[in-house]
Amino acid sequence: MANDLLWVEKYRPKKMSDVVGNELAKTAFINWLQNKRRRKKAVLLYGPAGVGKTALVNAASNQFNFTIIEMNASDTRTEKAINKVGKPATSFVALDRFSTETKGNILFLDEVDGVFGQQDRGGIKAIIKIINESLIPVVMAANDPELKKLRPLKKVCQLIRFQPLRIPLIITMLRRICVTENIEAEFEALEHIAQNSRGDMRSAINDLQSISEGKRFLRLQDTMFLSFRNKDIGMYETLKGVFSAESVGEAAIVLNRSSVDYDDFLLSISDNLPLRYLDSADLAHAYDLVSRADVFRGRVGTENWHLLRYFFNLLAEAATISPRSFKPFDFISPPMRIMKLFWTKSKRMKLENVCAKIALKCHVSRSTAKTDIVPFVKIILAKQKSSPIISWLKLEPDEVEYLMKMNKF
Amino acid sequence: MNLNDEVMWVEKYRPRTLNDIVDLNHIVESLQAFLKNPHSMPHLLLSGIPGTGKTTVALCIARELFGDKWKSFTLELNASDERGINTVRDRIKDFSRYSRTGFGDAPYSLIILDESDQMTGAAQTALRRIMETSSRTSRFILICNYSSKIIEPIQSRCAIFRFSKLDKNAMIEHLKKIAEKEGVQLLEEAAVRIVEYSEGDLRHAINALQTAAAYQTGVIDEQTVLQVFGEASPRQVQLMLNKALSGNFIEARKMMYDLIGQYGFSGSEIVRQMQRELLKVPHLTDSEKAELTDIIGKYDYRLTQGANSDIQLSALLAQFSKFRT
Repeated sequence: MANDLLWVEKYRPKKMSDVVGNELAKTAFINWLQNKRRRKKAVLLYGPAGVGKTALVNAASNQFNFTIIEMNASDTRTEKAINKVGKPATSFVALDRFSTETKGNILFLDEVDGVFGQQDRGGIKAIIKIINESLIPVVMAANDPELKKLRPLKKVCQLIRFQPLRIPLIITMLRRICVTENIEAEFEALEHIAQNSRGDMRSAINDLQSISEGKRFLRLQDTMFLSFRNKDIGMYETLKGVFSAESVGEAAIVLNRSSVDYDDFLLSISDNLPLRYLDSADLAHAYDLVSRADVFRGRVGTENWHLLRYFFNLLAEAATISPRSFKPFDFISPPMRIMKLFWTKSKRMKLENVCAKIALKCHVSRSTAKTDIVPFVKIILAKQKSSPIISWLKLEPDEVEYLMKMNKF
Repeated sequence: MNLNDEVMWVEKYRPRTLNDIVDLNHIVESLQAFLKNPHSMPHLLLSGIPGTGKTTVALCIARELFGDKWKSFTLELNASDERGINTVRDRIKDFSRYSRTGFGDAPYSLIILDESDQMTGAAQTALRRIMETSSRTSRFILICNYSSKIIEPIQSRCAIFRFSKLDKNAMIEHLKKIAEKEGVQLLEEAAVRIVEYSEGDLRHAINALQTAAAYQTGVIDEQTVLQVFGEASPRQVQLMLNKALSGNFIEARKMMYDLIGQYGFSGSEIVRQMQRELLKVPHLTDSEKAELTDIIGKYDYRLTQGANSDIQLSALLAQFSKFRT
């Protein structure tokens, strides 16, 4: 049934003229396609996701009646795999031309910036080779043309840049879909979806389909939760969301959605607890939970990821001990530990050096030297400025000075 | 090495032969029996609390085996500084593998691993193999505070010696002897005080004695000793404890970060010092101290399990801040 179709498939452009926006890129691409004596055999379409790169290629194929041989990120693209598909496709142009009614083939490599890493080893090299040997046009699409690995590709391709679609274009498209789907939508609702998509037509259509599922009317308030869904939740939002949550479940959802590294927010939640809980019993309770969360973090290590859910839950509990006492406060971030350790590094290194010298002479560990011997040496130096200990331990003048001035620990 | 070269008294008066050792007769006797025929000596595991002479015994054995050139036949490593498996694989393995019997009449080379209970499990497992394969060319002396932290297979390959707290009177005698040689007068009650504060740790006691002598009054009396311990005690840790116990969590936590940041203390070092200082806090009853010790123990354990030491320390301080209210 047509209803079951994803709208992004259902409303995929059939003709070049259906592709909205990016008129300059469209013209450049058509010119390149139609020019038989093109200077470069390959073209790289680049730009953010969902602006019509793949749609344009597919529409062009419909309109000009050529066959697309496609590879995208879901296929493995080692050198071998690329050669397997690419080689025959690019070498037997003549045969193809006689046997079918098409105007020929083009090789389409979608998401070429996905070609890197161990799995796709040698992929880029193979692509360049194919472009050089190819008898048919090669079209590639990528999101980020600045990726280092793609740099060699830029030399052998014509580059065509796509930009995010303008909001009114998206709104117009959404409206057209609503009419066809028999949905009455408020203009503000569509506007909100369009803005939220940041110029990405595909995500806008997907959003429209998911929130109007089974509805006849679409109102602005129906679209409100979108602003949550698509945005990355940063450290500030995470802390705000977690501490103002009214239940453990709510806080856990925020933590799960957060894009912050969880070691960072473990430290940040710990730093912010004293500001959140002014009552010392609450504070002690919350810290106990955070401490247990940290124990789970230790057990997770680098493999037992399933334990993370306990980690999240304990942190969520720690943040919501007494939701009613919540008052907004200014968050501490980044974590205090990182700042402290950064500022005090040189001091710490000096003490470590002194301890290493003592450890060597007195047959103890550096840590024992620090706790058991440094305090005594410090007093002796204070009492006898030119104590023979200095030369015995081979202390440098700045180390002696450091020891004398050092606050007691 | 000449006796007069050493400046720190702990080194200057460290016994050079097994005969000089204070108050460890039964251990010394069996070791001397081994040394009569060096090839009969097994690997050794010396275990006991700090400052009871474990390292000294190990160094004495090295001297008795190799004489003055002991340093070239001995690898001395502190496992708490170099505790990973790579140390075991690289340095220990290389050293143990090559027989040094070609030089002089040393029967084998000696590897002294101090604080070996700090070694990771993986490193201990690696060590076990090396001990087995290299027993023709080398002997190991493992030194630790807690023999239970040494894996079973290693324990079973070693002769184990347990060092208990040194006898108070023997320690007092020892301190007096040192004071006499240094030409300082050490009053009886001062010596008693030092020994009391040092809790059976002779190294600590000798360090305190030397520091007291640095006050240069000619006579070391009880007053000087109290002053030394007052100044040498970890003031920052005391302050942190007191701040926490008076309910000022934020200040206490700040001090904790100073300890970590400025002095590079690890989480377990701070906990250990808190435990030491807690017993000295005057305004707590014994049952309160017991309760707080229990809390310290709980978080010390979590420290070994968790990922971030400052979180466990913060949590510990938060429990202390709640304690009085």
